[in-house]
Amino acid sequence: MATNQDTDLQGLTTTDSSEGVKTQEMLLNLGPQHPSTHGVLRLIMTLEGETITGCTPVIGYLHRGLEKILENRTIMAGIRYMDNSDYLSPMLNETAYVGAVEQLMGMEPPRRAQYIRLLTNELQRIASHLVGIGTYGMDLGASTPILWAFRDREGILSLFEALGGSRFNVNYMRVGGVLHDFPKDWLKECETFLDTLEKNMKEMDALLSGNEIFMSRTQGVGYIDPQQALAYGLTGPMLRASGVNWDLRVNRPYMAYREVPVNTYVRQEGDCYARYYVRLQEITESIRLCRVAIDKMPGGAISTRTPIALRPPRGESYFAVESSKGELGVYLISDGSEYPWRAKLRGPSFINLQIVPELMRGHKMSDAIAILGSTDIVLGEVDR
Amino acid sequence: MDLVPRSKNIPSATTGYRDQNAALARDLAPIAQITGTPVVTQLQKGDYLGFEVAREHLVAVCRFLRDQLGFDLLSSNSGVDMLDHLESVYHIRSTTRNQLLQLKVRLSSESPEVDSVVSVWPTANWFERETYDMYGIRFSGHPDLRRMLLDDDFEGHPLLKNFHQVPLTVKPRATTQIDPNMAVSGQYQQQNMERVVQKKLGQGQQERLHPGTPTFGHANEAAQRDANVHESTESGQSTRDKNATTDEKA
Repeated sequence: MATNQDTDLQGLTTTDSSEGVKTQEMLLNLGPQHPSTHGVLRLIMTLEGETITGCTPVIGYLHRGLEKILENRTIMAGIRYMDNSDYLSPMLNETAYVGAVEQLMGMEPPRRAQYIRLLTNELQRIASHLVGIGTYGMDLGASTPILWAFRDREGILSLFEALGGSRFNVNYMRVGGVLHDFPKDWLKECETFLDTLEKNMKEMDALLSGNEIFMSRTQGVGYIDPQQALAYGLTGPMLRASGVNWDLRVNRPYMAYREVPVNTYVRQEGDCYARYYVRLQEITESIRLCRVAIDKMPGGAISTRTPIALRPPRGESYFAVESSKGELGVYLISDGSEYPWRAKLRGPSFINLQIVPELMRGHKMSDAIAILGSTDIVLGEVDR
Repeated sequence: MDLVPRSKNIPSATTGYRDQNAALARDLAPIAQITGTPVVTQLQKGDYLGFEVAREHLVAVCRFLRDQLGFDLLSSNSGVDMLDHLESVYHIRSTTRNQLLQLKVRLSSESPEVDSVVSVWPTANWFERETYDMYGIRFSGHPDLRRMLLDDDFEGHPLLKNFHQVPLTVKPRATTQIDPNMAVSGQYQQQNMERVVQKKLGQGQQERLHPGTPTFGHANEAAQRDANVHESTESGQSTRDKNATTDEKA
């Protein structure tokens, strides 16, 4: 949120060319209410003609003090607030939070619960990537992908509704397991949906990936080299699109990922198109993982018995899951009471947004939206 | 599209990351030459190592970790308020060694100041701005230490434990939200509006009543009493009726 309009204005330079034409840098304000910012993000850009010379993101419009809220709620009540962090992938947020608590308590959920978590996490990843791809197409002027993507996402939300009773804020994960077992025929429906989705994703690939306008607007735009990507702490598809093979599901496997191997897709180009394509391929991989989870779904309990007044021992733990946007970490400190002493969320969107000014510098104005859309940020997680 | 084969360094169920951690603990030994004291690593829950470092050696240690040991990814920086002191905690990953490390710096509550690690990892820029925003920890050498998420004129650092908190037992209401029968009194609204404008964010402890006190949605009982008097004189209602309704609510 912090910005000083005066210093921003003072930074503008005026140049007189030899022909007597006076040019001045222009200040352009984008947002906070703008369809292509995917939330309440404000970008203050300095333009020289059509070229962006500087960009200052102003965030905090959606700040709800989530970390303070979590400190003031019991751990059980806090799980629900994790849904609001990255509101496109609530299942993943909850997994990170309960994972941190379980790690602190030194407990392991039953195998069935781990596989249910894997299945729901991968479905959520598909849903999040579908939104990312669909809205990215819309940002660049293609109006069909968003309709197709939201149609497919609807299937996942319906599955979640049958599973947890809610479409978005599912509140499904529990410390030591999950809330409900599958309803009757849920897995069969899920398999049917995955078949449809796989067919639809092939159509999406044919529609968007080879589209000449889409390619020319994204290829070679917003290049990040691997060293820069690591230095800026990028994770998730943004890092893998820059040629760094880093995925927490593979490199620091947790829960059922220790048993289910994950294939990562890496692109070397590091441009907007690569980031889009990595997301598209990850949907295919997630479909495969869902099928594996359904095939290997073990029987048994879905949850271990945990006390109602959950008091983790004194101590600290940092637990991170591979969210759809990158590393979603929770740093939890407990003082031995029902309330966490400190719960820090490491949101991938927050850090992935940091590189945007670097990417935009030197590009044309029309590329700004292409670059911003390719980062696939969620402002709920940026501002927390 | 490159399909990369699965990584082989998955920890075994029995030993976990024990061998990697032991190797890392050996590699961390040269830090003693920087700090002058031997490194005391501690195994954290979640099978990774953590150690404390004095704040004057932080940047040198971080540079050693990045350049010599390949810890190239700063995962998070979080401030912690431990009442008697503050902490700045860094979680660092190495993509080449495939390891996680926790660094902790202990700071005094009175003047929390630590060197910035932006020169080592550029990603620390926003992390440290957020920590400064929430905890007031000053990162010296930071290129642009401003508030990150909150307003520039916000007073206080909200994640500190001594920051004003609304107790959970009382449902707080917005100060402009008043009873419908109060809303008809124009004078009361005017007074209330003025009070809201004067009020700064992060303040308000002085006006706050004891949590158990029923306030009927008003932070200021006196203003409510004034409004009652005002309304009764204007509309000609008897004060006895007014008191009766107030008692009923209580």
